[in-house]
Amino acid sequence: MSAAPVSVSAPPAAAARAPWPVQAGLVARRWIVDGFRLPWGLGVSVIQPVVWIVLFGNVFKAVTQVPGFGHTSYLTFLVPGILMMTMLYSGAWAGTGFIDDIRSGVMDRLLSSPVSRSALVAGQLVQQLLLSLIQGVVLLLIGWAAGARYAGGPTGMAIALVASLLLAAAFCSVSAAVALTARDQTALIGISTLVVLPATFLSTALMPVALLPHWVQATARYNPLTWATELARTAMSPSIDGRVVLTRGLLLLALAAVTYAWSVAAMRNYQRSL
Amino acid sequence: MSPTPAVEATGLVKTYPGGRGRPPVRALDGLDLTVPAGTVHGLLGPNGAGKTTTTKVLTTLSTASSGTARVAGHDVSREADAVRRAIGYVSQGTGADPLLTPRENLVMAARLRGAGRSAASERAEELLGRMGLHDEAGRRTGTLSGGTRRKLDVALGLVDAPRVLFLDEPTTGLDPEARASMWQEIRALAADDEVTVLLTTHYLEEADRLADAVSIIDHGRVVATGSPAALKAEIGGASLEDVYLHHAGRAWDAEAIR
Ligand SMILES: Nc1ncnc2c1ncn2[C@@H]1O[C@H](COP(=O)(O)OP(=O)(O)OP(=O)(O)O)[C@@H](O)[C@H]1O
Ligand SMILES: [Mg+2]
Repeated sequence: MSAAPVSVSAPPAAAARAPWPVQAGLVARRWIVDGFRLPWGLGVSVIQPVVWIVLFGNVFKAVTQVPGFGHTSYLTFLVPGILMMTMLYSGAWAGTGFIDDIRSGVMDRLLSSPVSRSALVAGQLVQQLLLSLIQGVVLLLIGWAAGARYAGGPTGMAIALVASLLLAAAFCSVSAAVALTARDQTALIGISTLVVLPATFLSTALMPVALLPHWVQATARYNPLTWATELARTAMSPSIDGRVVLTRGLLLLALAAVTYAWSVAAMRNYQRSL
Repeated sequence: MSPTPAVEATGLVKTYPGGRGRPPVRALDGLDLTVPAGTVHGLLGPNGAGKTTTTKVLTTLSTASSGTARVAGHDVSREADAVRRAIGYVSQGTGADPLLTPRENLVMAARLRGAGRSAASERAEELLGRMGLHDEAGRRTGTLSGGTRRKLDVALGLVDAPRVLFLDEPTTGLDPEARASMWQEIRALAADDEVTVLLTTHYLEEADRLADAVSIIDHGRVVATGSPAALKAEIGGASLEDVYLHHAGRAWDAEAIR
Protein backbone atom coordinates (compact mmCIF):
# COMPACT_ATOMS: atom_id res chain seq x y z
CA MET A 1 0.00 0.00 0.00
CA SER A 2 1.92 2.99 -1.24
CA ALA A 3 1.57 6.40 0.29
CA ALA A 4 0.61 7.91 -3.07
CA PRO A 5 -2.49 9.96 -2.37
CA VAL A 6 -4.87 8.49 -4.91
CA SER A 7 -8.36 9.77 -4.60
CA VAL A 8 -11.11 7.19 -4.59
CA SER A 9 -13.78 9.83 -4.86
CA ALA A 10 -13.01 10.34 -8.55
CA PRO A 11 -15.10 7.61 -10.12
CA PRO A 12 -13.77 5.96 -13.26
CA ALA A 13 -17.06 6.25 -15.05
CA ALA A 14 -19.99 8.57 -15.27
CA ALA A 15 -22.41 5.68 -15.72
CA ALA A 16 -22.80 3.53 -12.62
CA ARG A 17 -23.05 0.47 -14.77
CA ALA A 18 -22.36 -0.70 -18.28
CA PRO A 19 -25.16 -1.26 -20.83
CA TRP A 20 -26.65 -4.75 -20.72
CA PRO A 21 -24.89 -6.19 -23.81
CA VAL A 22 -21.54 -4.95 -22.51
CA GLN A 23 -22.19 -6.56 -19.14
CA ALA A 24 -23.19 -9.85 -20.72
CA GLY A 25 -20.13 -9.66 -22.99
CA LEU A 26 -17.81 -9.07 -20.03
CA VAL A 27 -19.33 -11.98 -18.15
CA ALA A 28 -18.97 -14.18 -21.22
CA ARG A 29 -15.36 -13.13 -21.64
CA ARG A 30 -14.60 -13.97 -18.06
CA TRP A 31 -15.95 -17.52 -18.48
CA ILE A 32 -14.09 -17.95 -21.77
CA VAL A 33 -10.79 -16.93 -20.17
CA ASP A 34 -11.53 -19.22 -17.21
CA GLY A 35 -12.27 -22.02 -19.68
CA PHE A 36 -8.93 -21.65 -21.44
CA ARG A 37 -7.14 -21.72 -18.09
CA LEU A 38 -8.66 -25.10 -17.34
CA PRO A 39 -7.21 -26.93 -20.33
CA TRP A 40 -8.56 -30.24 -19.10
CA GLY A 41 -12.18 -29.24 -19.43
CA LEU A 42 -11.67 -27.89 -22.92
CA GLY A 43 -9.79 -30.94 -24.16
CA VAL A 44 -12.25 -33.42 -22.71
CA SER A 45 -15.24 -31.62 -24.20
CA VAL A 46 -13.77 -32.04 -27.68
CA ILE A 47 -12.45 -35.57 -27.21
CA GLN A 48 -15.70 -36.92 -25.77
CA PRO A 49 -17.79 -36.77 -28.99
CA VAL A 50 -14.92 -38.31 -30.93
CA VAL A 51 -14.85 -41.26 -28.54
CA TRP A 52 -18.59 -41.67 -28.98
CA ILE A 53 -18.41 -41.71 -32.77
CA VAL A 54 -15.77 -44.43 -32.66
CA LEU A 55 -17.55 -46.37 -29.94
CA PHE A 56 -21.15 -46.24 -31.10
CA GLY A 57 -20.12 -46.39 -34.75
CA ASN A 58 -18.49 -49.77 -34.17
CA VAL A 59 -20.69 -51.29 -31.47
CA PHE A 60 -23.95 -50.64 -33.31
CA LYS A 61 -22.65 -51.18 -36.83
CA ALA A 62 -24.70 -54.34 -37.23
CA VAL A 63 -28.02 -52.48 -36.99
CA THR A 64 -27.75 -51.59 -40.65
CA GLN A 65 -28.42 -55.25 -41.39
CA VAL A 66 -31.62 -55.31 -39.31
CA PRO A 67 -34.67 -55.11 -41.61
CA GLY A 68 -36.36 -51.75 -41.24
CA PHE A 69 -33.19 -49.75 -40.57
CA GLY A 70 -33.52 -47.96 -43.87
CA HIS A 71 -30.21 -46.09 -43.86
CA THR A 72 -27.19 -47.25 -45.77
CA SER A 73 -24.45 -45.96 -43.52
CA TYR A 74 -24.88 -46.15 -39.77
CA LEU A 75 -22.27 -43.44 -39.30
CA THR A 76 -24.18 -41.01 -41.51
CA PHE A 77 -27.27 -41.86 -39.46
CA LEU A 78 -25.38 -41.60 -36.18
CA VAL A 79 -23.59 -38.23 -36.52
CA PRO A 80 -26.69 -36.02 -35.97
CA GLY A 81 -27.59 -38.14 -32.93
CA ILE A 82 -24.11 -37.90 -31.43
CA LEU A 83 -24.10 -34.17 -32.15
CA MET A 84 -27.20 -33.71 -30.01
CA MET A 85 -26.02 -36.12 -27.31
CA THR A 86 -22.87 -34.03 -26.99
CA MET A 87 -25.00 -30.94 -26.37
CA LEU A 88 -26.85 -32.79 -23.63
CA TYR A 89 -23.82 -34.15 -21.86
CA SER A 90 -21.78 -30.96 -21.87
CA GLY A 91 -24.83 -28.81 -21.17
CA ALA A 92 -25.46 -30.80 -18.03
CA TRP A 93 -22.24 -29.39 -16.55
CA ALA A 94 -22.97 -25.78 -17.39
CA GLY A 95 -24.21 -24.93 -13.90
CA THR A 96 -21.04 -25.94 -12.07
CA GLY A 97 -19.48 -22.51 -12.65
CA PHE A 98 -22.27 -20.88 -10.63
CA ILE A 99 -21.71 -23.29 -7.76
CA ASP A 100 -18.00 -22.41 -7.76
CA ASP A 101 -18.93 -18.72 -7.65
CA ILE A 102 -21.33 -19.27 -4.76
CA ARG A 103 -18.64 -21.16 -2.83
CA SER A 104 -15.85 -18.67 -3.49
CA GLY A 105 -17.83 -15.54 -2.69
CA VAL A 106 -17.61 -14.13 -6.23
CA MET A 107 -21.40 -14.42 -6.43
CA ASP A 108 -21.85 -12.33 -3.26
CA ARG A 109 -19.74 -9.56 -4.73
CA LEU A 110 -21.55 -9.61 -8.06
CA LEU A 111 -24.99 -9.68 -6.48
CA SER A 112 -24.25 -6.71 -4.23
CA SER A 113 -23.10 -4.69 -7.25
CA PRO A 114 -25.41 -3.06 -9.80
CA VAL A 115 -24.87 -5.84 -12.34
CA SER A 116 -27.92 -7.10 -14.20
CA ARG A 117 -28.92 -10.56 -12.97
CA SER A 118 -29.93 -11.66 -16.45
CA ALA A 119 -26.55 -10.52 -17.82
CA LEU A 120 -24.85 -12.82 -15.33
CA VAL A 121 -26.90 -15.73 -16.66
CA ALA A 122 -26.80 -14.74 -20.34
CA GLY A 123 -23.05 -14.13 -20.36
CA GLN A 124 -22.33 -17.58 -19.03
CA LEU A 125 -24.76 -19.06 -21.56
CA VAL A 126 -22.96 -17.30 -24.42
CA GLN A 127 -19.68 -18.92 -23.35
CA GLN A 128 -21.36 -22.33 -23.14
CA LEU A 129 -22.84 -21.90 -26.61
CA LEU A 130 -19.47 -20.95 -28.09
CA LEU A 131 -18.03 -24.10 -26.60
CA SER A 132 -20.96 -26.09 -27.99
CA LEU A 133 -20.40 -24.62 -31.43
CA ILE A 134 -16.74 -25.64 -31.38
CA GLN A 135 -17.74 -29.13 -30.27
CA GLY A 136 -20.35 -29.35 -33.02
CA VAL A 137 -17.97 -28.28 -35.78
CA VAL A 138 -15.24 -30.65 -34.59
CA LEU A 139 -17.76 -33.46 -34.43
CA LEU A 140 -19.01 -32.92 -37.98
CA LEU A 141 -15.41 -32.86 -39.23
CA ILE A 142 -14.44 -36.03 -37.39
CA GLY A 143 -17.65 -37.70 -38.60
CA TRP A 144 -16.76 -36.76 -42.17
CA ALA A 145 -13.24 -38.08 -41.78
CA ALA A 146 -14.64 -41.34 -40.41
CA GLY A 147 -16.86 -41.79 -43.46
CA ALA A 148 -20.18 -40.07 -42.72
CA ARG A 149 -21.61 -38.05 -45.62
CA TYR A 150 -23.76 -34.92 -45.30
CA ALA A 151 -25.89 -34.73 -48.46
CA GLY A 152 -27.51 -31.51 -47.23
CA GLY A 153 -24.24 -29.65 -47.83
CA PRO A 154 -23.10 -26.52 -45.96
CA THR A 155 -26.71 -25.29 -45.55
CA GLY A 156 -27.75 -28.58 -44.00
CA MET A 157 -24.78 -28.54 -41.68
CA ALA A 158 -25.48 -24.96 -40.65
CA ILE A 159 -29.11 -25.80 -39.89
CA ALA A 160 -28.00 -28.83 -37.87
CA LEU A 161 -25.57 -26.69 -35.88
CA VAL A 162 -28.24 -24.08 -35.14
CA ALA A 163 -30.53 -26.85 -33.90
CA SER A 164 -27.72 -28.16 -31.72
CA LEU A 165 -27.22 -24.69 -30.22
CA LEU A 166 -30.91 -24.39 -29.39
CA LEU A 167 -30.78 -27.75 -27.64
CA ALA A 168 -27.57 -26.73 -25.86
CA ALA A 169 -29.16 -23.45 -24.74
CA ALA A 170 -32.06 -25.36 -23.23
CA PHE A 171 -29.90 -27.85 -21.37
CA CYS A 172 -27.35 -25.29 -20.17
CA SER A 173 -30.21 -23.19 -18.83
CA VAL A 174 -31.73 -26.15 -17.02
CA SER A 175 -28.34 -26.97 -15.55
CA ALA A 176 -27.86 -23.35 -14.43
CA ALA A 177 -31.33 -23.27 -12.88
CA VAL A 178 -30.74 -26.53 -11.01
CA ALA A 179 -27.31 -25.36 -9.85
CA LEU A 180 -28.69 -22.07 -8.53
CA THR A 181 -31.51 -23.92 -6.78
CA ALA A 182 -29.62 -26.91 -5.36
CA ARG A 183 -26.30 -25.03 -4.85
CA ASP A 184 -24.45 -28.29 -4.60
CA GLN A 185 -22.09 -29.95 -7.06
CA THR A 186 -23.06 -33.48 -6.10
CA ALA A 187 -26.76 -32.75 -6.42
CA LEU A 188 -26.23 -31.19 -9.85
CA ILE A 189 -24.26 -34.17 -11.12
CA GLY A 190 -26.82 -36.59 -9.67
CA ILE A 191 -29.79 -34.81 -11.20
CA SER A 192 -28.04 -34.46 -14.56
CA THR A 193 -27.18 -38.15 -14.75
CA LEU A 194 -30.73 -39.00 -13.80
CA VAL A 195 -32.04 -36.97 -16.75
CA VAL A 196 -29.38 -37.29 -19.41
CA LEU A 197 -28.94 -41.04 -19.65
CA PRO A 198 -32.65 -41.96 -19.99
CA ALA A 199 -33.10 -39.02 -22.37
CA THR A 200 -30.44 -40.51 -24.63
CA PHE A 201 -32.05 -43.92 -24.85
CA LEU A 202 -35.63 -42.65 -25.00
CA SER A 203 -34.80 -40.86 -28.24
CA THR A 204 -33.95 -41.57 -31.85
CA ALA A 205 -30.36 -40.40 -31.40
CA LEU A 206 -28.88 -43.89 -31.65
CA MET A 207 -31.70 -45.95 -33.23
CA PRO A 208 -34.20 -45.23 -35.98
CA VAL A 209 -37.69 -44.85 -34.60
CA ALA A 210 -38.88 -48.01 -36.37
CA LEU A 211 -36.51 -50.17 -34.36
CA LEU A 212 -37.54 -48.77 -30.99
CA PRO A 213 -40.08 -50.60 -28.77
CA HIS A 214 -43.57 -49.09 -28.92
CA TRP A 215 -43.53 -47.43 -25.53
CA VAL A 216 -40.13 -45.91 -26.27
CA GLN A 217 -41.44 -44.63 -29.60
CA ALA A 218 -44.33 -42.97 -27.79
CA THR A 219 -42.02 -41.33 -25.25
CA ALA A 220 -39.34 -40.34 -27.76
CA ARG A 221 -41.79 -38.07 -29.58
CA TYR A 222 -41.82 -35.71 -26.61
CA ASN A 223 -38.07 -35.76 -26.11
CA PRO A 224 -36.24 -32.57 -27.17
CA LEU A 225 -33.26 -34.75 -28.06
CA THR A 226 -35.46 -36.46 -30.67
CA TRP A 227 -36.69 -33.12 -32.03
CA ALA A 228 -33.16 -31.84 -32.49
CA THR A 229 -31.88 -35.12 -33.92
CA GLU A 230 -34.72 -35.39 -36.45
CA LEU A 231 -34.20 -31.78 -37.47
CA ALA A 232 -30.48 -32.30 -38.03
CA ARG A 233 -31.00 -35.62 -39.78
CA THR A 234 -33.39 -34.22 -42.36
CA ALA A 235 -31.28 -31.07 -42.81
CA MET A 236 -28.23 -33.13 -43.64
CA SER A 237 -30.09 -35.67 -45.82
CA PRO A 238 -30.42 -35.51 -49.63
CA SER A 239 -34.02 -34.28 -49.40
CA ILE A 240 -34.66 -31.80 -46.59
CA ASP A 241 -38.15 -31.90 -45.05
CA GLY A 242 -39.02 -28.24 -44.43
CA ARG A 243 -41.98 -29.10 -42.23
CA VAL A 244 -39.82 -31.10 -39.82
CA VAL A 245 -37.25 -28.30 -39.70
CA LEU A 246 -39.90 -25.69 -38.96
CA THR A 247 -41.92 -27.58 -36.35
CA ARG A 248 -38.97 -29.05 -34.47
CA GLY A 249 -37.13 -25.74 -34.75
CA LEU A 250 -40.01 -23.86 -33.17
CA LEU A 251 -40.33 -26.44 -30.42
CA LEU A 252 -36.63 -26.12 -29.62
CA LEU A 253 -36.77 -22.33 -29.72
CA ALA A 254 -39.71 -22.29 -27.31
CA LEU A 255 -37.94 -24.72 -25.00
CA ALA A 256 -34.76 -22.64 -25.02
CA ALA A 257 -36.74 -19.47 -24.24
CA VAL A 258 -38.66 -21.06 -21.36
CA THR A 259 -35.59 -22.65 -19.80
CA TYR A 260 -33.61 -19.41 -20.12
CA ALA A 261 -36.36 -17.57 -18.29
CA TRP A 262 -36.25 -20.28 -15.63
CA SER A 263 -32.50 -19.85 -15.14
CA VAL A 264 -32.85 -16.07 -14.74
CA ALA A 265 -35.66 -16.62 -12.22
CA ALA A 266 -33.43 -19.12 -10.38
CA MET A 267 -30.72 -16.45 -10.10
CA ARG A 268 -33.21 -14.01 -8.56
CA ASN A 269 -34.56 -16.72 -6.25
CA TYR A 270 -31.04 -17.53 -5.18
CA GLN A 271 -30.55 -13.98 -3.97
CA ARG A 272 -33.95 -13.95 -2.31
CA SER A 273 -32.94 -16.98 -0.27
CA LEU A 274 -29.81 -15.35 1.13
CA MET B 1 -20.81 15.58 9.59
CA SER B 2 -23.59 15.45 7.05
CA PRO B 3 -27.15 15.52 8.38
CA THR B 4 -28.17 12.29 6.61
CA PRO B 5 -26.41 9.32 8.15
CA ALA B 6 -24.63 6.97 5.75
CA VAL B 7 -26.31 4.01 7.40
CA GLU B 8 -29.58 4.10 9.28
CA ALA B 9 -31.18 0.79 10.27
CA THR B 10 -34.23 0.37 12.44
CA GLY B 11 -35.61 -2.83 13.90
CA LEU B 12 -33.88 -5.18 11.49
CA VAL B 13 -35.02 -8.78 11.86
CA LYS B 14 -33.65 -11.63 9.79
CA THR B 15 -34.79 -15.20 10.24
CA TYR B 16 -33.32 -18.16 8.39
CA PRO B 17 -35.28 -21.38 8.04
CA GLY B 18 -33.92 -23.89 10.56
CA GLY B 19 -34.39 -26.87 8.28
CA ARG B 20 -35.40 -30.48 9.08
CA GLY B 21 -38.04 -29.55 11.63
CA ARG B 22 -35.71 -27.32 13.62
CA PRO B 23 -37.00 -23.88 14.58
CA PRO B 24 -35.97 -20.92 12.42
CA VAL B 25 -32.71 -19.12 13.29
CA ARG B 26 -33.23 -15.51 14.32
CA ALA B 27 -29.94 -14.06 13.07
CA LEU B 28 -31.06 -10.45 13.58
CA ASP B 29 -33.51 -9.65 16.33
CA GLY B 30 -34.48 -6.00 16.08
CA LEU B 31 -31.15 -4.43 15.27
CA ASP B 32 -30.79 -0.64 15.23
CA LEU B 33 -27.71 1.05 13.82
CA THR B 34 -26.80 4.60 12.82
CA VAL B 35 -23.50 5.48 11.19
CA PRO B 36 -22.82 9.17 10.46
CA ALA B 37 -21.37 9.88 7.02
CA GLY B 38 -17.61 10.05 6.76
CA THR B 39 -16.92 8.00 9.90
CA VAL B 40 -15.41 4.58 10.54
CA HIS B 41 -17.77 2.36 12.47
CA GLY B 42 -16.75 -0.95 14.01
CA LEU B 43 -19.07 -3.92 14.42
CA LEU B 44 -17.95 -6.22 17.21
CA GLY B 45 -19.49 -9.32 18.68
CA PRO B 46 -19.04 -13.05 19.22
CA ASN B 47 -19.20 -15.63 16.42
CA GLY B 48 -22.74 -15.99 15.20
CA ALA B 49 -23.84 -12.68 16.71
CA GLY B 50 -25.19 -11.42 13.40
CA LYS B 51 -22.44 -9.13 12.13
CA THR B 52 -22.21 -10.70 8.67
CA THR B 53 -25.98 -10.88 8.43
CA THR B 54 -26.19 -7.14 9.21
CA THR B 55 -23.65 -6.43 6.48
CA LYS B 56 -25.50 -8.60 3.98
CA VAL B 57 -28.78 -6.82 4.61
CA LEU B 58 -27.17 -3.38 4.36
CA THR B 59 -25.40 -4.27 1.09
CA THR B 60 -28.69 -5.52 -0.43
CA LEU B 61 -27.26 -9.01 -0.73
CA SER B 62 -30.00 -10.39 1.48
CA THR B 63 -33.37 -9.04 2.44
CA ALA B 64 -34.45 -8.44 6.02
CA SER B 65 -37.54 -10.26 7.24
CA SER B 66 -38.69 -6.98 8.78
CA GLY B 67 -37.37 -3.57 9.69
CA THR B 68 -36.00 -0.84 7.47
CA ALA B 69 -32.57 0.33 6.46
CA ARG B 70 -31.26 3.24 4.44
CA VAL B 71 -27.75 3.31 3.05
CA ALA B 72 -26.32 6.44 1.41
CA GLY B 73 -29.81 7.89 1.58
CA HIS B 74 -31.54 5.03 -0.24
CA ASP B 75 -33.83 2.33 1.05
CA VAL B 76 -32.10 -1.06 0.78
CA SER B 77 -35.18 -2.95 -0.34
CA ARG B 78 -37.03 -0.39 -2.46
CA GLU B 79 -33.98 1.30 -4.02
CA ALA B 80 -31.56 -1.60 -4.03
CA ASP B 81 -29.97 -0.56 -7.30
CA ALA B 82 -29.20 2.96 -6.06
CA VAL B 83 -27.66 1.47 -2.92
CA ARG B 84 -25.54 -0.91 -4.99
CA ARG B 85 -24.16 1.99 -7.03
CA ALA B 86 -23.10 3.81 -3.88
CA ILE B 87 -21.39 1.03 -1.97
CA GLY B 88 -18.45 -1.33 -2.01
CA TYR B 89 -18.64 -4.68 -0.26
CA VAL B 90 -15.78 -6.87 0.89
CA SER B 91 -17.38 -10.05 2.14
CA GLN B 92 -16.05 -12.41 4.78
CA GLY B 93 -15.15 -14.88 2.02
CA THR B 94 -13.09 -13.95 -1.01
CA GLY B 95 -14.66 -12.09 -3.87
CA ALA B 96 -12.12 -12.58 -6.65
CA ASP B 97 -12.13 -15.10 -9.49
CA PRO B 98 -9.24 -17.47 -8.68
CA LEU B 99 -8.50 -18.15 -12.36
CA LEU B 100 -8.08 -14.49 -13.27
CA THR B 101 -5.15 -12.32 -12.24
CA PRO B 102 -5.68 -9.47 -9.75
CA ARG B 103 -5.38 -7.01 -12.63
CA GLU B 104 -8.00 -8.85 -14.70
CA ASN B 105 -10.32 -9.07 -11.71
CA LEU B 106 -10.08 -5.33 -11.12
CA VAL B 107 -10.50 -4.40 -14.78
CA MET B 108 -13.56 -6.60 -15.11
CA ALA B 109 -15.13 -5.19 -11.94
CA ALA B 110 -14.54 -1.64 -13.14
CA ARG B 111 -15.92 -2.34 -16.60
CA LEU B 112 -19.03 -4.06 -15.24
CA ARG B 113 -19.75 -0.84 -13.41
CA GLY B 114 -19.53 1.16 -16.58
CA ALA B 115 -15.89 2.22 -16.95
CA GLY B 116 -14.47 2.21 -20.46
CA ARG B 117 -11.51 0.06 -21.42
CA SER B 118 -8.79 2.59 -20.67
CA ALA B 119 -10.49 4.08 -17.62
CA ALA B 120 -10.84 0.58 -16.20
CA SER B 121 -7.16 -0.27 -16.64
CA GLU B 122 -6.14 3.05 -15.16
CA ARG B 123 -8.36 2.40 -12.20
CA ALA B 124 -6.94 -1.11 -11.82
CA GLU B 125 -3.35 0.18 -11.82
CA GLU B 126 -4.26 2.87 -9.32
CA LEU B 127 -5.76 0.34 -6.91
CA LEU B 128 -2.96 -2.18 -7.43
CA GLY B 129 -0.53 0.54 -6.40
CA ARG B 130 -2.61 1.68 -3.51
CA MET B 131 -2.91 -1.84 -2.09
CA GLY B 132 0.71 -2.72 -2.85
CA LEU B 133 -0.23 -5.46 -5.28
CA HIS B 134 1.93 -4.52 -8.27
CA ASP B 135 4.26 -7.50 -7.92
CA GLU B 136 1.40 -10.00 -7.89
CA ALA B 137 -0.81 -8.21 -10.41
CA GLY B 138 -0.14 -10.65 -13.23
CA ARG B 139 -0.33 -13.93 -11.32
CA ARG B 140 -3.40 -16.09 -11.02
CA THR B 141 -5.35 -15.02 -7.96
CA GLY B 142 -5.82 -18.64 -6.87
CA THR B 143 -2.07 -19.05 -6.43
CA LEU B 144 -1.64 -15.99 -4.19
CA SER B 145 -1.29 -16.04 -0.42
CA GLY B 146 -4.38 -15.48 1.71
CA GLY B 147 -3.26 -12.05 2.81
CA THR B 148 -2.51 -10.91 -0.74
CA ARG B 149 -5.95 -12.09 -1.82
CA ARG B 150 -7.49 -10.15 1.05
CA LYS B 151 -5.83 -6.98 -0.21
CA LEU B 152 -7.26 -7.69 -3.64
CA ASP B 153 -10.71 -8.14 -2.11
CA VAL B 154 -10.45 -4.69 -0.56
CA ALA B 155 -9.23 -3.24 -3.86
CA LEU B 156 -12.27 -4.79 -5.57
CA GLY B 157 -14.51 -3.13 -3.01
CA LEU B 158 -13.00 0.25 -3.88
CA VAL B 159 -13.24 -0.12 -7.63
CA ASP B 160 -16.18 2.22 -8.16
CA ALA B 161 -15.27 4.90 -5.59
CA PRO B 162 -17.94 3.91 -3.10
CA ARG B 163 -19.46 6.39 -0.68
CA VAL B 164 -20.05 3.65 1.87
CA LEU B 165 -17.64 0.76 2.18
CA PHE B 166 -18.54 -2.47 3.99
CA LEU B 167 -15.59 -4.50 5.20
CA ASP B 168 -16.37 -7.88 6.77
CA GLU B 169 -13.21 -8.89 8.66
CA PRO B 170 -10.82 -7.25 6.16
CA THR B 171 -7.65 -7.87 8.14
CA THR B 172 -8.13 -11.52 8.98
CA GLY B 173 -5.08 -13.38 7.66
CA LEU B 174 -2.92 -10.30 7.17
CA ASP B 175 0.60 -10.13 8.58
CA PRO B 176 1.27 -7.34 11.13
CA GLU B 177 2.80 -5.03 8.54
CA ALA B 178 0.03 -5.53 6.02
CA ARG B 179 -2.50 -5.01 8.77
CA ALA B 180 -0.91 -1.74 9.78
CA SER B 181 -0.95 -0.47 6.23
CA MET B 182 -4.55 -1.61 5.81
CA TRP B 183 -5.42 0.45 8.88
CA GLN B 184 -3.69 3.41 7.32
CA GLU B 185 -5.68 2.91 4.12
CA ILE B 186 -8.97 2.70 5.97
CA ARG B 187 -8.21 5.85 7.93
CA ALA B 188 -7.21 7.63 4.73
CA LEU B 189 -10.43 6.58 3.04
CA ALA B 190 -12.48 8.20 5.76
CA ALA B 191 -10.28 11.25 6.26
CA ASP B 192 -9.33 12.16 2.68
CA ASP B 193 -12.06 10.65 0.57
CA GLU B 194 -14.99 11.02 2.95
CA VAL B 195 -15.89 7.39 2.59
CA THR B 196 -18.00 5.93 5.36
CA VAL B 197 -16.56 2.62 6.49
CA LEU B 198 -18.52 -0.09 8.30
CA LEU B 199 -15.97 -2.53 9.56
CA THR B 200 -16.53 -5.93 11.13
CA THR B 201 -13.67 -7.23 13.21
CA HIS B 202 -12.68 -9.57 16.01
CA TYR B 203 -9.56 -7.52 16.76
CA LEU B 204 -10.52 -5.15 19.52
CA GLU B 205 -7.28 -3.24 19.15
CA GLU B 206 -8.18 -2.64 15.50
CA ALA B 207 -11.57 -1.26 16.42
CA ASP B 208 -10.06 0.88 19.17
CA ARG B 209 -7.50 2.42 16.80
CA LEU B 210 -9.65 2.82 13.72
CA ALA B 211 -13.23 3.35 14.66
CA ASP B 212 -14.87 6.64 15.53
CA ALA B 213 -17.61 4.55 17.08
CA VAL B 214 -18.31 0.88 17.62
CA SER B 215 -21.42 -1.22 18.07
CA ILE B 216 -21.28 -4.46 20.00
CA ILE B 217 -23.72 -6.99 18.61
CA ASP B 218 -24.95 -10.03 20.48
CA HIS B 219 -27.79 -12.39 19.60
CA GLY B 220 -28.83 -10.20 16.68
CA ARG B 221 -29.13 -6.95 18.66
CA VAL B 222 -26.87 -4.01 19.37
CA VAL B 223 -26.07 -4.27 23.08
CA ALA B 224 -23.80 -1.22 23.28
CA THR B 225 -22.84 1.59 20.95
CA GLY B 226 -20.67 4.67 21.15
CA SER B 227 -17.12 5.90 20.76
CA PRO B 228 -14.50 3.58 22.28
CA ALA B 229 -13.65 6.27 24.82
CA ALA B 230 -17.24 6.81 25.87
CA LEU B 231 -17.87 3.08 26.17
CA LYS B 232 -14.82 2.63 28.32
CA ALA B 233 -15.79 5.56 30.53
CA GLU B 234 -19.31 4.19 30.92
CA ILE B 235 -18.18 1.01 32.62
CA GLY B 236 -14.99 2.40 34.08
CA GLY B 237 -12.93 -0.06 32.05
CA ALA B 238 -9.41 0.49 30.84
CA SER B 239 -9.69 -1.22 27.44
CA LEU B 240 -12.20 -2.05 24.74
CA GLU B 241 -11.76 -5.63 25.82
CA ASP B 242 -13.31 -4.80 29.19
CA VAL B 243 -16.19 -3.16 27.36
CA TYR B 244 -16.64 -6.15 25.07
CA LEU B 245 -16.63 -8.65 27.93
CA HIS B 246 -18.95 -6.49 29.97
CA HIS B 247 -21.57 -6.42 27.21
CA ALA B 248 -21.10 -9.59 25.20
CA GLY B 249 -18.82 -11.80 27.28
CA ARG B 250 -20.11 -15.22 28.19
CA ALA B 251 -19.71 -15.71 31.94
CA TRP B 252 -17.25 -18.60 31.66
CA ASP B 253 -15.33 -16.69 29.02
CA ALA B 254 -14.98 -13.65 31.17
CA GLU B 255 -13.80 -15.68 34.12
CA ALA B 256 -11.27 -17.54 32.01
CA ILE B 257 -9.78 -14.38 30.57
CA ARG B 258 -9.56 -12.45 33.83
N1 LIG C 1 -27.69 -18.87 5.27
C1 LIG C 1 -27.95 -19.14 6.55
N2 LIG C 1 -28.83 -20.09 6.89
C2 LIG C 1 -29.12 -20.36 8.18
N3 LIG C 1 -28.56 -19.71 9.21
C3 LIG C 1 -27.68 -18.74 8.95
C4 LIG C 1 -27.32 -18.40 7.62
N4 LIG C 1 -26.41 -17.41 7.66
C5 LIG C 1 -26.20 -17.15 8.96
N5 LIG C 1 -26.97 -17.94 9.75
C6 LIG C 1 -27.02 -17.91 11.23
O1 LIG C 1 -27.26 -16.60 11.65
C7 LIG C 1 -26.52 -16.30 12.82
C8 LIG C 1 -25.66 -15.07 12.58
O2 LIG C 1 -24.64 -15.37 11.64
P1 LIG C 1 -23.59 -14.30 11.13
O3 LIG C 1 -22.85 -14.93 10.01
O4 LIG C 1 -24.28 -13.02 10.87
O5 LIG C 1 -22.64 -14.15 12.39
P2 LIG C 1 -21.32 -13.30 12.56
O6 LIG C 1 -21.57 -12.35 13.66
O7 LIG C 1 -20.89 -12.74 11.26
O8 LIG C 1 -20.29 -14.41 13.05
P3 LIG C 1 -18.71 -14.58 12.75
O9 LIG C 1 -18.01 -13.71 13.73
O10 LIG C 1 -18.47 -16.01 13.06
O11 LIG C 1 -18.45 -14.22 11.33
C9 LIG C 1 -25.73 -17.55 13.14
O12 LIG C 1 -26.45 -18.27 14.12
C10 LIG C 1 -25.70 -18.31 11.85
O13 LIG C 1 -25.66 -19.69 12.09
MG1 LIG D 1 -19.26 -13.00 10.03
